Amino acid sequence: MEAISRAGTVLGVLAKDGVVLAAEKKVTGKLLDLSGAKEGGYGGSGEKIYLLNSNIIGGVAGITSDANSLVNYARSAAQRHLLTYNEDIPVELLAQRLCDMKQGYTQYGGLRPFGVSLLYAGYDPHYQFQLYHSDPSGNYSGWKATCIGANNGTAQSLLKQEYKDDLEVKDAIGLVLRTMSKTMDSTTLGSEKLEFAVLTLDPTTKEPKAKIYRPAEIDALLESEGLAKKDEDTAKRSA
Amino acid sequence: MNTFADRFSTTGALAELRKAQKAADEEEFSDAMWGSEAGFGSLAKGVPTFSVPNIPDPTAFLRLHTDDHADPTCKIKISHGTTTLAFRFQGGVIVAVDSRATAGSYVASGTVKKVIEINPYLLGTMAGGAADCQYWETYLGMHCRLHELRNRERISVSAASKYLSNLVYSYKGMGLSMGTMICGWDKTGPAVFYVDSDGTRLKGDLFSVGSGSTFAYGVLDQGYRWDLTDEEAQELGRRSIYAAGHRDAFSGNTCNLYHVKEDGWKFIGNYDISKMHYDGPGNVLGATGGGYGYELRVEGLSSANPPVAAQA
Amino acid sequence: MENLFAITGKGYVIVAADTTSARSIVKMKVDEDKIKVLSPHLLMAYSGEPGDTIQFSEYVERNIRLFQIRNTYPLGPSAAASWIRRSLAESLRSRKPYAVNLLLGGYDTNKHEPHLFWVDYLGTMTEVPFAAHGYGSYFVLSLLDRYHNPEASLEEGLATLKRCIAEVTKRVVVSPGQYKVKVVDKDGAREIEI
Repeated sequence: MEAISRAGTVLGVLAKDGVVLAAEKKVTGKLLDLSGAKEGGYGGSGEKIYLLNSNIIGGVAGITSDANSLVNYARSAAQRHLLTYNEDIPVELLAQRLCDMKQGYTQYGGLRPFGVSLLYAGYDPHYQFQLYHSDPSGNYSGWKATCIGANNGTAQSLLKQEYKDDLEVKDAIGLVLRTMSKTMDSTTLGSEKLEFAVLTLDPTTKEPKAKIYRPAEIDALLESEGLAKKDEDTAKRSA
Repeated sequence: MNTFADRFSTTGALAELRKAQKAADEEEFSDAMWGSEAGFGSLAKGVPTFSVPNIPDPTAFLRLHTDDHADPTCKIKISHGTTTLAFRFQGGVIVAVDSRATAGSYVASGTVKKVIEINPYLLGTMAGGAADCQYWETYLGMHCRLHELRNRERISVSAASKYLSNLVYSYKGMGLSMGTMICGWDKTGPAVFYVDSDGTRLKGDLFSVGSGSTFAYGVLDQGYRWDLTDEEAQELGRRSIYAAGHRDAFSGNTCNLYHVKEDGWKFIGNYDISKMHYDGPGNVLGATGGGYGYELRVEGLSSANPPVAAQA
Repeated sequence: MENLFAITGKGYVIVAADTTSARSIVKMKVDEDKIKVLSPHLLMAYSGEPGDTIQFSEYVERNIRLFQIRNTYPLGPSAAASWIRRSLAESLRSRKPYAVNLLLGGYDTNKHEPHLFWVDYLGTMTEVPFAAHGYGSYFVLSLLDRYHNPEASLEEGLATLKRCIAEVTKRVVVSPGQYKVKVVDKDGAREIEI
């Protein structure tokens, strides 16, 4: 729990026609070599936001090594479901699968629980777009907008103020970025500190389409939203 | 090179096989000799074992040589010559069976009890392997009693028959041969279930099992009504078994008749089939009097149809 | 000989199965129900090895129910069919495989469309507009190639089914006398008298 409250913020907002996920990457020191991060593979440098299945993206906060193991487990669970049922795993079911495992580690002595909270942004035919949160104890719950990691209290009260029902994806993107810029410790908002992803329906196939932004795309997005690096005043005030 | 190494190695699959074959050749073949002795070598002879036929697959062997419905020419005959029947009617359940046991073409016994009294409320019939039926239905009786002790109420006929069908299903393909009717009276009233070693279980009003079943069906189906009186029903059961005993070479000798009512089953009687043919079942309730035999029934009747004029 | 038929139409699937249970030349029972209602919008007709049919269908029935209790929503037709196919395929390579043929008819309440799956004891599965198992299939498949209409109303669908039954009764040497018919549509599964 302690590790999670210090971890980089992950923020999710549910919209009418999609789900938006953003995460803050902690830069642990000046000497950390970020020369590769700028290029980024597909999925940014992939520290905090992962594609769990073609219909679900996950954001993690906590001990990174634990998170990697959970992401691996989630991807296997999703594939196992696809194998037996020939359909994408429903979002809640995947959250349940992980929570079943996380709960197991709270029950038996000698084992340490996973120090990870997750956000699941997904789509399935049962409940359309969904956003779930799960904590290390194995509890999970569905949200319209929520936040985990550092400053999650501040972020959540901001979201509570600004969230409106029947929000659309483009509004949700703005809301997420604005909230993110206000809560982040750092003074500047840029691709080296931010990961960003959106899940929508493909207009032609009507299948869920997950887009995890590349660093360059994030910078372009920040530019268009007017939140690029120059905006230092806002950041200072919130800090 | 590999074959050479295999021949002299003391571990590995081939070596194990060699050891086993050697053991078998020495006529000291026992189960414990199979596979690795895993450090229990000193115990191998002291541990109680039971011997298995020296063939690769005992189940396949048994299937091959057992008189299953597919192949009547095989060596081990199981008493297939049988007629059993049971039906449900307004007054309870009638269970009637013949008493002949055959082994091949040889009549092994004429006084077999083919109705197994599971408990005072449940009867099972026997067709197929006599031992299989006898053993498993007695075993079923044990579990019915345990059910009573655990649940403070009698087991339903449905549950008892399901227990038996699940049990025999777990032995499917291993040579069990039984075709049985589980009959009784429970909260739902009279009940009859057909259970066989395929794992089939059917709920119904009327069943007949065995080589003579077709002959029994012929009489039974035609005479059956739900609102038969007790006497009529008993007579129908008797007469159907007679019909099968008469027409089917593998059924016959005598007929055992049971009637299940609300307060449990009752043995009605044992009737000689030859006697029924010539004289009828004797002075019993429901009997129409006279022999059942065709010749007796049509005595004095004639199909000749001469012109009326010729008669004069 | 056992016969199973199924036909899809506008917003429904009709599933029909004969009701005889035979052992060698004897019909042991003439009113056996060989169509299980697995969930409110899913039907399964089965035939094959006596014993296996009941055991497998009850196994499937209980597992589908268990899924529903655990997950609050029922499996859709295609997910259920995939699971059932997989169970059969796994059983095929076990010590004692289930010898059961199936027709699965269901209604997808999310997408509002009927689905029909043909599954055999080897674990072959295919989605089809109409299907049959047993000797009857040799007559009925060609008949349905000629007469099946994907947009037929329920009445028209039942009329086509009656054609199938009449054809089988007429041409197959040992054909069962009675059939049980069930239909599944947006309102769920129910039995229909024909």
